[in-house]
Amino acid sequence: MGDKKVTIEVNGQEIETQAGRMLIEIADEVGIPVPRFCYHKKLSVAANCRMCLVEMQAMREGMENPVVPACATPIGDGMKFYTKSPKAIAAQKGVMEFLLINHPLDCPICDQGGECELQDIAIGYGEGYSQYTEAKRVVKNKDLGPLIATDMTRCIHCTRCVRFGEEIAGTRELGMIGRGEHTEITTYLEHSISSEMSANVIDLCPVGALTSKPFRYSARSWELNNVDAIAAHDCVGSNIIVQTLHNKVKRVLPRENEALNEVWLSDRDRFSYLSQTHTERLETPMIKKGGEWQCCDWNTALTTLVAELDILVKDKKNTIGALLSPSSTLEEGYLLQKIVRGMGQHNIDFRIRQQDFSQQTLDPLYPHLGVNIDDISTLDAVMLIGSNIHKDQPIIGHRLRQAVLKNDTKVMAVSHRQYSFHFPVTENIIVHPQRIALQLAGIAKALLTLNNASAPTGLKEVIDDMLITDIQQKMAEKLQAAKRGHLILGNMIYGLEDYAQIRMLASLIASLSECNIGYLTEGANAAGLAIAGCLPHRKEVGKENNQDVGLHAQEMLSKTLDAYILLGIEPELDTLNPQQAINTLTASSMVVVMNAFVTDTMKQYANILLPISTPLETSGTFVNTNGMWQSFTGAVSPYKEARPAWKVLRVLGNLFELDDFDYRSSEEVKESIASKYTAEKFDNRIIWQEHLFENRINNVNNEPIRISDVPGYAIDAMVRRADALQDSLDMQIADKVLMNEKLAQVLQCHADNIVEVEQLEGSGKFIVAIDESIPDDCIYIPSAVAATTNLAAPFSTVSIKE
Amino acid sequence: MGGMTRFFKSLFLVELLKGMRLTGRYLFSKKITVQYPEEKTPQSHRFRGKHALRRYANGEERCIACKLCEAVCPALAITIESEQRDDGSRRTTRYDIDLSKCIFCGFCEESCPVDSIVETREYEYHGETREDLLMTKEKLLAMGDKYEEEIAADRAKDAIYR
Amino acid sequence: MTNEVCFRTLHLDKPSSLDTYISIGGYQVWKKILAEKTSQMDIIEEIKISNLRGRGGAGFPTGLKWSFMHPPGGEVQPSMQRYIVCNSDEGEPGTCKDRDILRYNPHQLIEGMAIAGYAIGASIGYNYIRGEFWEPYEQFEQALSEAYEAGLLGKNIQNSGIDFDLYTHLGAGAYICGEETALLESIEGKKGQPRFKPPFPASYGLYGRPTTINNTETLASVPVILEKGGQWFLEQGKPNNGGTKLFSVSGHVNKPGNYEVPMGIPFADLLEMAGGVKDGKKLKAVIPGGSSTPVIPGEIMMDLSMDYDSLASKAAGSMLGAGSVIVMHEDTCMVKTLARLSHFYYDESCGQCTPCREGTGWLSRIVHRIEDGQGKNEDLDLLNSIASKIEGRTICALGAAAAMPVASFIKHYRDEFQYHIDHKKCMVSMK
Repeated sequence: MGDKKVTIEVNGQEIETQAGRMLIEIADEVGIPVPRFCYHKKLSVAANCRMCLVEMQAMREGMENPVVPACATPIGDGMKFYTKSPKAIAAQKGVMEFLLINHPLDCPICDQGGECELQDIAIGYGEGYSQYTEAKRVVKNKDLGPLIATDMTRCIHCTRCVRFGEEIAGTRELGMIGRGEHTEITTYLEHSISSEMSANVIDLCPVGALTSKPFRYSARSWELNNVDAIAAHDCVGSNIIVQTLHNKVKRVLPRENEALNEVWLSDRDRFSYLSQTHTERLETPMIKKGGEWQCCDWNTALTTLVAELDILVKDKKNTIGALLSPSSTLEEGYLLQKIVRGMGQHNIDFRIRQQDFSQQTLDPLYPHLGVNIDDISTLDAVMLIGSNIHKDQPIIGHRLRQAVLKNDTKVMAVSHRQYSFHFPVTENIIVHPQRIALQLAGIAKALLTLNNASAPTGLKEVIDDMLITDIQQKMAEKLQAAKRGHLILGNMIYGLEDYAQIRMLASLIASLSECNIGYLTEGANAAGLAIAGCLPHRKEVGKENNQDVGLHAQEMLSKTLDAYILLGIEPELDTLNPQQAINTLTASSMVVVMNAFVTDTMKQYANILLPISTPLETSGTFVNTNGMWQSFTGAVSPYKEARPAWKVLRVLGNLFELDDFDYRSSEEVKESIASKYTAEKFDNRIIWQEHLFENRINNVNNEPIRISDVPGYAIDAMVRRADALQDSLDMQIADKVLMNEKLAQVLQCHADNIVEVEQLEGSGKFIVAIDESIPDDCIYIPSAVAATTNLAAPFSTVSIKE
Repeated sequence: MGGMTRFFKSLFLVELLKGMRLTGRYLFSKKITVQYPEEKTPQSHRFRGKHALRRYANGEERCIACKLCEAVCPALAITIESEQRDDGSRRTTRYDIDLSKCIFCGFCEESCPVDSIVETREYEYHGETREDLLMTKEKLLAMGDKYEEEIAADRAKDAIYR
Repeated sequence: MTNEVCFRTLHLDKPSSLDTYISIGGYQVWKKILAEKTSQMDIIEEIKISNLRGRGGAGFPTGLKWSFMHPPGGEVQPSMQRYIVCNSDEGEPGTCKDRDILRYNPHQLIEGMAIAGYAIGASIGYNYIRGEFWEPYEQFEQALSEAYEAGLLGKNIQNSGIDFDLYTHLGAGAYICGEETALLESIEGKKGQPRFKPPFPASYGLYGRPTTINNTETLASVPVILEKGGQWFLEQGKPNNGGTKLFSVSGHVNKPGNYEVPMGIPFADLLEMAGGVKDGKKLKAVIPGGSSTPVIPGEIMMDLSMDYDSLASKAAGSMLGAGSVIVMHEDTCMVKTLARLSHFYYDESCGQCTPCREGTGWLSRIVHRIEDGQGKNEDLDLLNSIASKIEGRTICALGAAAAMPVASFIKHYRDEFQYHIDHKKCMVSMK
C-alpha cells in the first residue's frame, strides 16, 4: 500500500502505478474503457452492479482465470488483466442481460434518453433481442419533493444515490429496502429530500430513475446547447453548464472544477434558472408620470433619468446614493461606482445587510475566506461564528464535512441558533446574539491564559472578572492545539450591531491561537464589488478615499437622499431593515430601480424602472471568496426588452458625459480593473486597536429579541422566484416564528397558533413553532421572506400578540 | 478498317435507323400516358406523401414527444416542443413540419417508436403562402383523423416485412 | 463409534446442563489454558494437526483460518479489538445439525468459542443464531448464564488476566446472513447483505476489526480436539478429511435425523443408519451437502463415501457442504424439486448485486413454467446459460448456490425435464 510502485499489465499494456489502487482508476487514467454503473470516482466502492467484471490472470498455474470487478480489485505487482478477452466480454454481456430483463423499454419517454449510461453501454454490450419472456418488474414511484422526479421501475440498484446521501450530502434519506428482486430505493418513510445538494442524485443516477422534476419532459439532452457559466448564488462561484434550447434556459448542470465544486452543485445554483421566465420579470423600461406607470422605450427612459438626475447633481451635495446587490458582476459594480463618483459622490455600497460599519477602514481589500476551498479538508480545527454553513454556502459546507470525515477536523460553533449541521460539532455555544462578543471574549481570555499573554488594552477591563466556562476553555484548547486552525465569520454576523467588536475579538483569538480568519459573504461577488470600488470609503482596487468618505448602506437607508439608484436589489427583502428602507425610499423624490423583476412594492417607491438581465443573460465576472476571477458569457439573450446592466450603465455614463466610458465589451471593463489590480497574500487578521474597542458587551437587557437569518432559498431575487425551490422543505420556515418552550410559556404562545408580530410601526402574521434550537429570550423570524417586509431590523425587540 | 466501317455506317444512317426502331415500337404499342387529374396511377402502400399524426382508437394521440423524428430529420423540417401534461404523460405542445423543407425521405416515420408520425398517400396539395406549407400539430392530427383507415390498412400490409 | 465429539453429552440426562458437561470433563481444556496460558500458536498448531475443516460448507482448514489472525510479519495492529464470531445461522435447506448442538451441547460450543477467542486474540465473541431458532436461542442463553455464573467467562477469568465475553445475537430470518460478511453486517445492525472481498474479515471484519468466523460444529469440535489431541481427531476420519462429522439425513428415509459419524463413512452405511429408503423404494437421487450442492444420482451415490474429497471427485461432481443429506426415492419429481429449490434462492437473494438479484427470479420463473407445463424447448439451454452467467460473477457465494443445483439437475435428469416440456405432465407420477 501507500507509495509502493508496482507494475501491472492490462490488455498487454504495462502500467506502473501505486499499489493498492483499484484497477478501474488506473484503467480510467490510461484510457482503457471499462463499463460500469455503480462505480463513481467521488463515492465509495460498492461493487454491486458487476458491470466492470474483467478477466484476471490466475494467481497459480492451472487455476482457471477468474473474472473480478475492476472497481473493487486492488492491484498488486505483476497482476495481469484482460478487459476485452472473450471471458471478460461474456461476463459483461451477461450482466447487461440481467440488468435489461427488468428495465422498461421506455427510452422514448425517458428524460435520461440520450445521456443514459445504461443506454450507452447497452449499445456495446446488449443483445438486439431479449430471451426474457416473463412479466417485467414494476416499482411504485416515490415522491421525493419538488426537485427530483422518480421512475423507480427504471432503477438498476447501483446505490449511487444512497451512497451520495451517506457520504456527500450527509443526510441518510435514501436507502435500499426489500430483498432480491423486491429491493427498492426509497426514503424509508415517504418524504421530501431535505439536503441542500440533493439534486446531485439526478446527475449520479446512471438511468432515468431519478430525473429533474422542473425539467421533466421539456427537452432532450441532444438538442440542448451548452454554455459554460458561473453560479451566482454563493461566494464559491461553482462552475456550471447552462443548457439552453430556443433561447430559453432548460437546465443547469455542474461543470467539474476540482478547486471549487468538484462535480457537485447546490440545488440553489441548479434550479435558480426557473425564475428566468417568472411572471414578475420586468419586460420594458417604465416611467412613473403623475402617479401612473407607463411603459416606454429605453431611449425615453434613459434620457428622462439623465435629465432628472443632472438637475439634482448640479444643485446640492450628497444627494445621490447607489445600492447594489452583492451578486452584481464586477463590471456592473465598477461602472456604477464610476457613475456615482463621476457625479462627485461616494455614496455607494453593496453591504446592504450589514449594520455596524464602525471599522470599515480595517476591512481587507476584499472579504476572503482565508483558506483555499480545496484546502479546507486540511484544516484541523474550524470555529464557525454565526454561520449556517451548509445552507448558506453548500459547497463550503460540503468541503468542511469532508474535512470532518477524512481529517477528523474539529468544528466548533458560536451562534445565535443551534443549526443542525451535517457533520458533528465538537463544541457548541448557542447564545443570545448580544452575548456572542462576550463568549468570544471568554475564549480570548482562555487563550491569553494558555499563552501567558496579557490582555490588550480595552479588553482587560471586560475580561478581568469573567469566569471562563468549560466550553470556552475547550474551544480555546482545540484552536491552540490545531496546526491549521481557522475561524469563519458567517453570513449572519454582519447583521449584528456589534459586528466590528466580534470581528476584532475573533481576530484576537485567531492571532493568539495562530489561526487564520475568513469571511463568508452574501451573494456571488462581494469580493469583486469590493475590488471594483463599490464602497463609500474605497475606490477601485482598494484605493483609500479617506478625505471624502461617502455614506454606507445603513446611512443611505436611514436618512432620505434626493435620489437613489438601486441595482438588482429589492430593499423590502434584501436590506436589514425593510420597514425603514421602504419609508426612506418612498420619501425620496427620485428612485431608479434597475432590476430583472418588478413587484408592486417596487412600484410604490420607484420612479423609473429599468429591466436588466439576470446573470444567465449577461456577460461578466464574479470574484469568489478565494479571489478567483471567473468570467462568463450570457447563455441566452435577455428577456424581452431587458438589457445587461453593464451596457445600461455604460450608456448612462455616456449620457452623463463622463470620461472613459467607451467600453465595447464587458471584457474591456474587466481589463480596466484587472490592469490596476495586484493579487495579495491573505491574512485577514486585524490588529487590535484599542480606541475602536467600545465595550458594549455587558449592556444586554432581557427583553425578547428577534433573531434572524436568511433562509437558503430566500437570498436573492432569482432564488426567491424559483418555484421548485420555494416548495422545498427548507422554505417551510418562511411563515414561522420560532421560540423555545420556555419563552413560549412566558409569552403564552402555542404551537401552530397564528400570531401578530409587531416591530416598531410594522407587523406581520406568523405561525408559532416551538424549537429548542433557539436560545432563551430570542424569537426567531427569518429575513428576506414576504411575511417580514413590514418588520424592522432583526436583533432588536419585538412584541407578539395573538 | 475502322474507317471503312464508320464510312458505310454513316452513309446508310445505321444509327439513326436503330433509334427510329425504338421510336416506332412505342408508336404502335399500347399508350401508358395517364390523363391526370381525371386518371391516376396506382400507388404503392408505401407511398410517402403528406404527413399525419395518428391517434389510438380511444382518441388519445400517439405522439409521446420523444423527438426522435426531429433528431433524425435530415432537412431539419421538424420542430417539437414538449412538456408534462396534467395527467403526467409526456406530450408535445408544438409539432411543426415545414413542408417546404421536407424531402419526404420517410426517416421520421421509420424512427417513430409508436407509429405516430406517418406519411400518407396524399400528394395533391399546394400552398399559396409559406404558412400554408407549415403543418402544425392540429393540421397533422386532422390529417391523421381523415386518413386513419387507409393508414392503418397500409401499415398492416407492410407489417410482415418489418 | 458415533456421537463422540459434538454430541458426546447426548446419551446423558439433561445433556445441555453445565453439570452434565462438566461430568464428562467439559471446560477442562479451557481451565487448563486459563491456568497455563498455553501459547496461541500451539493451539493453532494442534488444530492444524487435526485437519479440522470448516463444517459450514466451504471446508476451509480451520487452523489456517485462525493463523491469518497472526500474520507472519507480525500483528498489523496488535492493540485493535478482535472478534470471534460463531455462525449458527443455519439456513441451508436440509441442515439441522447446529440446532442440536445449541440445544443439547451448548457448553461445548461456549468452551470452543472461548478457546478460539483466546487463540486468535479476541476477547469478545458473538454467537449469531438464526432467527427461527427461538428455543435453541433460549437454551444457549441459559447455558451462557450458567457459564458466567460458574466464572468461566467474563473479565479476568479465574484471575488469569484473560478476558472473554460472549454475546448471543438472534438473526431475523434471512438465509443470506449465513454468509459470513452479511452476518457481520447483521450483527452491526445493518441490512444483511454481503460485503465484497477483499478485504477479508481477518483484516476488516466486525466493526472494521479483525474477525474470525467459524461454524457452530467447527467451534464445538475444538474442545475435544484439544482434549484428545489433534492426531486422535484426524484418525477418526480419513487423511485430509479428518475427524467426525454431523450428517443431517432427511427426505425419504425411515429414520431422518442427525448422525455424528466418522468422516469418510460410506454413504450406504449412513443410509442404513437412517433406516434405509422409505417404503423400501429405490433410491433415485441424493443431494449430499444441503440444497446448494449439486445433486448426485442414487446409483453413483451408493459407491461414494461421505467426505470432502470423495464427493468432490469427478464422478460425483458435488460437495460435502454442511453434510445435509437429502435423500429422494424413485417417486420424486425432479422438476418440482428444482422448482422448490429455485424458488428458495429467488426468495432469499439479498438483491445487492445484479446477476443474483435478476437471475434467481428468472431461473425460478422458467423452472416453474416447465413444471406447470408451459415450458419451451429452448428453456433447458436457457436455464444452463443463465446459471452460467450467475456463477462466479456475484459478490458472495449465494449466486453460485442458486446456479449449481440448476446445472446439476439438468445434467442428470434432462430427460425428465424434456418430458415435462413435451408432454406438459410429469414423468414420475405417470409411472
